[in-house]
Amino acid sequence: MSDIILRVENVSKYYKLGILGSSSLKKDLQSWWRTNISKKPIPIPNEKKESKDHIWALKEINFEINEGDCLGIVGKNGSGKSTLLKTVSRIVPPTTGSIKGRGKITSLLEVGTGFHPELSGRENLYLNGQILGMSKKEITSKLDEIIDFSGVERFLDTPVKRYSSGMYVRLAFSVAAHLNTDILIVDEVLAVGDSEFQKKCIGKMQDVTQKSGKTILFVSHNLLALGNLCNKAICLSKGNLVDFGDSKSVISNYLNKEKVEILEQNFQLTDTYVGNEFIAVHSISLKPQYNDFNIIDTSTPLLINFSFLNKMLGSDNLSVHVLLYYYGGDCVFETGSIPTVYANGKINGTCLIPGNFLNDGHYYITISFIRNSSKVLYEFTEALVFDVADYREDKSSFSKWNGAVRPHFPVRLEETLM
Amino acid sequence: MNQDFKWEWELSANKKRIQLGLRELWQYRGLIKSFARKELIAGYQQTIMGLSWLVIQPLLTTLFYLLVFSRIVKVSTDGVPPLLFYMSGNLLWGFFSDCLSSTMYTFKHNAHIFSKVYFPRLVVPISMIGTHMFRFSIQFILFILIYTFYWISGAVHPSIYMLWLPIVIIGTVTLAMGIGMIVSIYLARYNDLEPFMNFFLRLLMFVTPVVYPASLIPHSYKFLFWANPLIPLMEYFKAGFFFTKPVNLSYLFISFIITLLIFLCGLIYFKKKELSVMDTI
Repeated sequence: MSDIILRVENVSKYYKLGILGSSSLKKDLQSWWRTNISKKPIPIPNEKKESKDHIWALKEINFEINEGDCLGIVGKNGSGKSTLLKTVSRIVPPTTGSIKGRGKITSLLEVGTGFHPELSGRENLYLNGQILGMSKKEITSKLDEIIDFSGVERFLDTPVKRYSSGMYVRLAFSVAAHLNTDILIVDEVLAVGDSEFQKKCIGKMQDVTQKSGKTILFVSHNLLALGNLCNKAICLSKGNLVDFGDSKSVISNYLNKEKVEILEQNFQLTDTYVGNEFIAVHSISLKPQYNDFNIIDTSTPLLINFSFLNKMLGSDNLSVHVLLYYYGGDCVFETGSIPTVYANGKINGTCLIPGNFLNDGHYYITISFIRNSSKVLYEFTEALVFDVADYREDKSSFSKWNGAVRPHFPVRLEETLM
Repeated sequence: MNQDFKWEWELSANKKRIQLGLRELWQYRGLIKSFARKELIAGYQQTIMGLSWLVIQPLLTTLFYLLVFSRIVKVSTDGVPPLLFYMSGNLLWGFFSDCLSSTMYTFKHNAHIFSKVYFPRLVVPISMIGTHMFRFSIQFILFILIYTFYWISGAVHPSIYMLWLPIVIIGTVTLAMGIGMIVSIYLARYNDLEPFMNFFLRLLMFVTPVVYPASLIPHSYKFLFWANPLIPLMEYFKAGFFFTKPVNLSYLFISFIITLLIFLCGLIYFKKKELSVMDTI
């Protein structure tokens, strides 16, 4: 049986909210007086209600992991995933509770921490490695391996400010991939870079856990990668630990619980439009063009209707993009309207996703409003959430149909007589 | 599972004792060196003059002081050749103010790194001091060259007070770092401190004998000698090179005691707040 390497006990994290201003000095003095002179404990850790001026980002989290485990952390945005990682990696102290562990812990919350744009790739490689806790000797001994992994050998003596973002990420991740540590904490860093490099990174991380028996804490919105990589997982919701166990079951519980269908959102009735000073979304709806049954399946064409108020001033043109995502995964497609100058006022839009195009799965739609084809004015994320059921004309096969999409392109066969 | 299992480290909400973590700091000595190197190199990258700015900067300042204070305002230099007088004053003052104004930005300028990765935060101020030590030594060598020239021509003579030199330099660094560490914590929270500190540094220069000799300070203002720990440091620095009458040794001791107190307070406060300060930045 493997040993416990990390134990998190009753960890809570309190954050004050609001803007610091001329009144913050007075508040600071007040709270200093309360804690140090009148010895009143503030904040009160038991009273965990939400309020306007503070938030409990983590509420009494308890878990432990064994050596060689790969722990995935799932949860919605703002559920406390990043705070947990930061607390475990000693970046911020917990408000209550303690974290105990053994061995060297390294956190990779961002690729290329401390990269200096004026320094060359090689110099940054050393600097970044040392920031992450490697010694100079260690880096030198692995230098060839790191350079080889990064694939930016030719540019090593160029200042990184001239690097493309892809090269930058490659170089940065290469250092991180060769870290020699007992516990590695990784946050969403795989979301950057092209897919080929992402695969390489995930492969490298798999190597790290399976071959060298290192312990990993991993946060990703890519549940597929998380499920493949991790053997255990925890699920956080509003700072609470709601699920802990085998990664496959935690992920499926999470997906089932989070699975909500939103086929229509209408803000006109309540006058609480979503948007900002440029855009106010009035309504959005998904109208499936059902054929026989009232169920969205892979053959159902989906009509998206939306209306919004254009409050953007000036003669800039506007385009609206519709993005379709796998729930907890990658973007399937992005499609947009032709950039046109519109007068201020209400605009209606539609987008038709044809039948026999999407594969079965759980999807969500994000609408993005773009000014002058470049600047995102407003993004309405997860505007619509829906399920696409499997549809087969031929009922003899029930295995999962492969692919991101399931179009009906004609595949024709012809028999030739020998 | 064995219960008497040994944890190697523990992060707890209520730490009773403040550990200075000197051993940990020693493990990060490579990072200190790299940071110092980065600071030095990056500052002069893509400049035409490169590292020669290290020499040009103090020379230009000295010449400017020479013109303004010696030729226009006509301040006495206690019989010391004006070039050497202003150069020595500027050398130590520049070192002090550089050390202070870079350590006080420890959290503000490195927030993006500190919010992503852990290492002992003391690495940053120490590496900053290292960078300025290097710059100081280059400028010091330049000063010595010019000084030697004057010495050969018989205009100046070194004195026994030169033995105080290492201690004076250490005192200057310690004072700058001590103040810098305290300010760095508060600067992360209150931006008001930034204009205040710039203002403070400018005023401090005028109550420190940088461009005038301490002998000009009138008797009724003698309290400045113990109220401003920089005055004795500055005087003992100059006394090593030009045998002018140095100030009373007791002032130097008071200066050291104040410096040490500030440094210890700064160090303890810095260690206490080094992580939680990131919540407020």
